[in-house]
Amino acid sequence: MIRAYDLTKRYGDTTVVHGLDFTVRPGTVTGFLGPNGAGKSTTLRMLLGLDAPTHGRSTIGGRDYTTHPAPLTEVGALLEARAVHPGRTAFHHLMALAHTHGIPRSRVEHVLDLAGLTDVAHRRIKGFSLGMGQRLGIAAALLGDPAHLVLDEPVNGLDPEGVLWIRNLLTSLAAQGRTVLVSSHLMSEMALTADHLVIIGRGRLLADTTVAELIRAAGGASVKVVTPQATTLRDLLTGRNVTAEPGAAGDELVVHGADAATIGRIAAAHTITLHELTPQTGSLERAFMELTQESAEYRTAAPLTGAAA
Amino acid sequence: MTIPAPSPYRITAVRVLHSEWHKFRSLRSTWVTLLSASALVLGTGVTMGATYTPGGGDADIDTVVLVLYGTLLGQLCITVLGVLVTAGEYSTGMIRASLIAVPGRVPVLWAKAAVFTAAAFTSLFATALLTFLAAQRLLRGTDQEAGLTDPGILGAIAGNSAGITLLGLIALGLGALLRSVPGSIGAFIGGVLVLPEVLGMLPYDAVESALAYFPTQAAGALGSATPFPGAAAAGPALLALCLWAAVSLGAAAVLLRRRDA
Repeated sequence: MIRAYDLTKRYGDTTVVHGLDFTVRPGTVTGFLGPNGAGKSTTLRMLLGLDAPTHGRSTIGGRDYTTHPAPLTEVGALLEARAVHPGRTAFHHLMALAHTHGIPRSRVEHVLDLAGLTDVAHRRIKGFSLGMGQRLGIAAALLGDPAHLVLDEPVNGLDPEGVLWIRNLLTSLAAQGRTVLVSSHLMSEMALTADHLVIIGRGRLLADTTVAELIRAAGGASVKVVTPQATTLRDLLTGRNVTAEPGAAGDELVVHGADAATIGRIAAAHTITLHELTPQTGSLERAFMELTQESAEYRTAAPLTGAAA
Repeated sequence: MTIPAPSPYRITAVRVLHSEWHKFRSLRSTWVTLLSASALVLGTGVTMGATYTPGGGDADIDTVVLVLYGTLLGQLCITVLGVLVTAGEYSTGMIRASLIAVPGRVPVLWAKAAVFTAAAFTSLFATALLTFLAAQRLLRGTDQEAGLTDPGILGAIAGNSAGITLLGLIALGLGALLRSVPGSIGAFIGGVLVLPEVLGMLPYDAVESALAYFPTQAAGALGSATPFPGAAAAGPALLALCLWAAVSLGAAAVLLRRRDA
């Protein structure tokens, strides 16, 4: 369990993090969301004892992080900025960190393998791609087999295979009962991995909610259907708690209140031809945009109003 | 749901020391700076021995100072190494990984200082002994002939190595204070190497006598088998150098604990 109590960070006159209170529970993946400059990294650095809060405090596993006798077994951390010496090999980097806790070489080799870095373990980090650097960061985070994971933008710079690997890893770590806190500025990414969301903007807490709740608050998930028999399907679908509105094109419907499987089944039962049947996460993206719009640090002159988002 | 069982892993001072030793030895720059220092000291020492003319301009120079003249160059390499050990972690971002692993922070600095001291002194002392013996083979029969067991010789050789090691520790502290490799090297050259020379120009006797206890002058006094005029005695010189290093490291420790990383 990770807890923040009135966590505040000020640099001179600028308040970067403003009285944050939140709880991150074990067994789930919690997304820490906010636009660029919202104060996510500063908050994570305070959790890890790298930055001292101006006011307030935080605990990991019930204690201030810096007072743990074996912090690497308590928290595995991946920071946004690289935290490695490029002149060292991946193996030596991890081994040096492992020595501080008496973690054996076998564990270092295990996490290298887990991160898919065994082949490059004895190459200097200097030559690593962004994605390999991220994998090394994850390997370092897993070194102490920690009960909590704090990862700042872990999918940054990863190729699609790497992104998928991270998603599965996060889900399985949470399923083992660990507490997983992952920061991102991408709602779409968090919608796929996180169960719980802590959303901040300009250093303030905007929402502490679940993905499901946010979808509901945003007007529910919708499904885009393209069919030449739009009117027929619309009449069949419309009913209790289900609405089907015409979409941008004439043969398009936007359905709320029924999932893709249900719609497909109904269409099949009535031999209606479907050209497209797509669950939309656009509403979630829009809900996030609306929440954070007021607080976004950099805004485009004309806010994007995408139909498909 | 399974929560990992309590593990045997925990931080101890010895483990932090082990970690810092692993960091130290796994960087190429460590070996480049240490070996460069040795090569400069040995090369200069042998050249001094081979080119010495009895009764020439160098006749009144202390024999250990003469033979180890190259340590003036070698000390620069050791200074750079000291700075790299601390400031190098800041310039690369490695410090964040180090402090997440050891959030108590200060043990990391002590371990770095200990590893540096042991490695620098061992390497310097071995090089100085070798250089002395090699140069003395060439100086046999001259007025600079001396043996390791002659009075003051071994002490001066050890003193030379200790002096440079302590100067390096001052640089290590500066690296942690300023957190920039070029900044720290600049500050060391300006504050430790050049400033005393400038102060020496001042026409005050008090400054003159205080200068004997400044880092480079104290290190010079430690490395001479025969005391030279105006220099501090070996004991006080060593004490002064230790204090300079303690001030540098102490200030670094205080700020390390206080500042955001």
